[in-house]
Amino acid sequence: MIARDDLAEKPREIMVMRDLPQPKMAYILNRGDYDKRGEPVEPDTPAALPPFPADQPKNRLGLARWLVDPDHPLLARVTVNRLWQSLFGLGLVQSPEDLGSQSTRPEYPEVLDLLAWQFSHPVADGGLAWDMKRLVKTIMLSQTYRQRSIADPKTMADDPLNVWLARGPRHRLPAEMIRDGALAACGLLVEKVGGPPVKTYDMPESFKPEKADTGEALYRRSLYTFWRRTGPGPVLESFDVPKRVVCVAKRDTTNTPLHAFVLMNGPQFVEAARVLAERLLADYAGDADRALARAFEQLTNRSPDDEERQIVQTMYEKQLAWYRGHPEDAEKLVAIGATKRSEAIPVADVAAATAVINALMNYDGTVVKR
Amino acid sequence: MTRKWCLAPNLGSSRKEHSPDSPDSVPGTDLSMVSRRDWLNSFGLGFGGLALAEMLGRSSVAADARGDGASGVLGGFHHPPKAKRVIYLFQSGGPSQLDLYDRKPLLVEKTGEQLPDSVRGGQRLTGMSGNQSSIPLVGSPFSFAQYGESGAWISELLPHTAKVADRLCFIRTMYTESINHGPGVTFMQSGNQVPGRPSIGAWLDYGLGNEHDDLPSFVVLITKNKGGQPLMSHLWGAGFLPTKHQAVRFRSGADPVLYVNNPPGVSPENRRQVLDGLRQLHEHQFAGTPDAEITARIANYEMAFRMQASVPDVTDFADEPQSVLDLYGPDAKDPGTFAANCLLARRLAERGVRFIQLYHQDWDHHGGLKGGIAREAKQTDQPAAALVQDLAQRGMLDDTLVVWGGEFGRTNYCQGLYKPGQDFGRDHHPRCFTIWMAGGGIKPGTTYGETDDYGYNIVKDGVHVHDFHATMLHLLGIDHERLTYKFQGRRYRLTDVHGKIVKGILA
Repeated sequence: MIARDDLAEKPREIMVMRDLPQPKMAYILNRGDYDKRGEPVEPDTPAALPPFPADQPKNRLGLARWLVDPDHPLLARVTVNRLWQSLFGLGLVQSPEDLGSQSTRPEYPEVLDLLAWQFSHPVADGGLAWDMKRLVKTIMLSQTYRQRSIADPKTMADDPLNVWLARGPRHRLPAEMIRDGALAACGLLVEKVGGPPVKTYDMPESFKPEKADTGEALYRRSLYTFWRRTGPGPVLESFDVPKRVVCVAKRDTTNTPLHAFVLMNGPQFVEAARVLAERLLADYAGDADRALARAFEQLTNRSPDDEERQIVQTMYEKQLAWYRGHPEDAEKLVAIGATKRSEAIPVADVAAATAVINALMNYDGTVVKR
Repeated sequence: MTRKWCLAPNLGSSRKEHSPDSPDSVPGTDLSMVSRRDWLNSFGLGFGGLALAEMLGRSSVAADARGDGASGVLGGFHHPPKAKRVIYLFQSGGPSQLDLYDRKPLLVEKTGEQLPDSVRGGQRLTGMSGNQSSIPLVGSPFSFAQYGESGAWISELLPHTAKVADRLCFIRTMYTESINHGPGVTFMQSGNQVPGRPSIGAWLDYGLGNEHDDLPSFVVLITKNKGGQPLMSHLWGAGFLPTKHQAVRFRSGADPVLYVNNPPGVSPENRRQVLDGLRQLHEHQFAGTPDAEITARIANYEMAFRMQASVPDVTDFADEPQSVLDLYGPDAKDPGTFAANCLLARRLAERGVRFIQLYHQDWDHHGGLKGGIAREAKQTDQPAAALVQDLAQRGMLDDTLVVWGGEFGRTNYCQGLYKPGQDFGRDHHPRCFTIWMAGGGIKPGTTYGETDDYGYNIVKDGVHVHDFHATMLHLLGIDHERLTYKFQGRRYRLTDVHGKIVKGILA
């Protein structure tokens, strides 16, 4: 409750929205010119949509009640479709911004309808009562979601987008998840809720350069990364974060060489790899094989098989030999990032494990959901 | 449990055919599941020959290599292009046409007199000069002369541009709908005053794809350390097109592309070892999960490794002879200056980058125009002229379109009080302004359009922003009415529902 008290006590001023006693008139503006008023207009909903309830006030409260009225499926369909899209990479309706007469037609309208009906109806009627977590659970526990992401060659060829849902989802993770995932794996992620935006390592590289913050601000969830108007942080932007110029209901998921630069050379990821290397080498008393197998698990959420373990181990041995031969390079590599390095482990060992873990951060199993 | 409502009619059975307006936005997924070897062999190429375009989820490497624009959504040109690439030298802030290109002796004569209402014709003024009790005309304090066989009038501020006058086409009658910078620049760059539409370069990348192996097709260069009206990154954004079509901005610092260089402590040999290990992991994964997305990832990392060499190669001027550096002027060796950016633009153009967008800020001379415009002219005149000359010497001007211009012009009257002999300013003027174009299918040594003696209104041959865009696309082999993208229920174009090709400037 302390946090809540803080919220109530600290701000000197809180903006509140409420209706004017006498609402301002709005007008049609002829050809869009602000000084060419035409006929006055009243608030109402588009005629093609369900009628606005007569007993509701024509303000935001009335609008909200109209939106969630369980007698129509519209809001529930759109919401369910967007959640489906975030879990599968593609919505049941592929045009999440448009479920109207020009939308892409769904392959399985019944699934969308069933989920929308459940989502918008009370628990007593067998519904989910607009509960997003229950909706996530419903979808994720389905057999459809739990399928393998690969199918037989013919199915893959005939249905490259997985519209038929004959296999499980496979898509590259969004920008925030990639960065947060790396920070979470190495233990640097600050899970604090709320507060002002933070300036990450890449801010000096942005179009309007800003000095990076220090301390925990460097490790907060990407949700809190500073934006300047239509300019997102460069790291997030390179992974298809929209510029917030137009409303984007479906993000792109490109796969470009520019990603390799960010994940392999960006200080956020190099530092995260080094911190994870130090921690795991300490945890496993310098047993690099076990430490790296554990790193693999933390980044990909599965254990490496024997061959993977062997590949990773060979990478480590080569890197170790390299950094033992180039101790000045090892020192430079482990010095990247604001987190102080641990002196307990030999620098070549840390540098070698850093290089391998950083490679794992670039591995398909880490950045692609399968 | 009853279901109160059932399927809405628009959510009926699935439509199977592929809509050309809804291109696959999940890169990699358009490749069927084939073995990695088959996949590579199908292009007759190993990793070394794979194009960046392919990495970006595009359709055909072979098409890229031919340079026929077939790797974009259009699958080829609408007609044979005159220009293969564009270098757009955007002069942000609104350079004064009256002090650079559009000579008006009448204004010199009538300096201090009021702008007649008959000339103003009810034009809405900006909030900055709209409430002035007096709007005194002011002639240019700079002298003009005619240059070249074409006899183009050019002010003393642009001696170098004057030398290449016979290669340029001056359009004196550009006009726009916007009277302020944000909407004005956005209009010039995207065909709409409100942010959210794709920029010109993004449309081209979408329509024609990428011709180059290891450089993007759309690059932005911004003169460093400039003040003036701010630029915003949506100006080179993809708007509602997939984000892969937005520009890659090359910075003037150590990393021209974000994090292109290895971090401290990582050498190329060392990086190579790590990439080999990563590739083994991916190959092992592909054996169990034969998904083309994995092969695309492998190729991406190889491409990234090559770009670590190709990007510094284009930004390092060490191989430029002194004579070329001299041509661009003393700033050419200082990365991030307009001169260095002009030279870099030529190097990018040589390597097949299709749209190179430069920005140079600080032409917004509401006051202190005499000093201000002289400073900007000095920074831009020689490099812009050098670029035209350099391209011509290399035989590249024939198929490279160079554009110089801002978002609007400036008024023929003085902003604020006019005091004879003292410095003064000019306000924004959307009704006419001058830009020049050169090369790539443009008629050289021409001046197009006429403004009135007051330099206020267009008398003949007005060129709207949409017309400018339509003409640029035409030169690039695109019918501006047939490059469309469906968004929020309707199809959009760069020129929306407008735009006429300006035939009078075509070679």
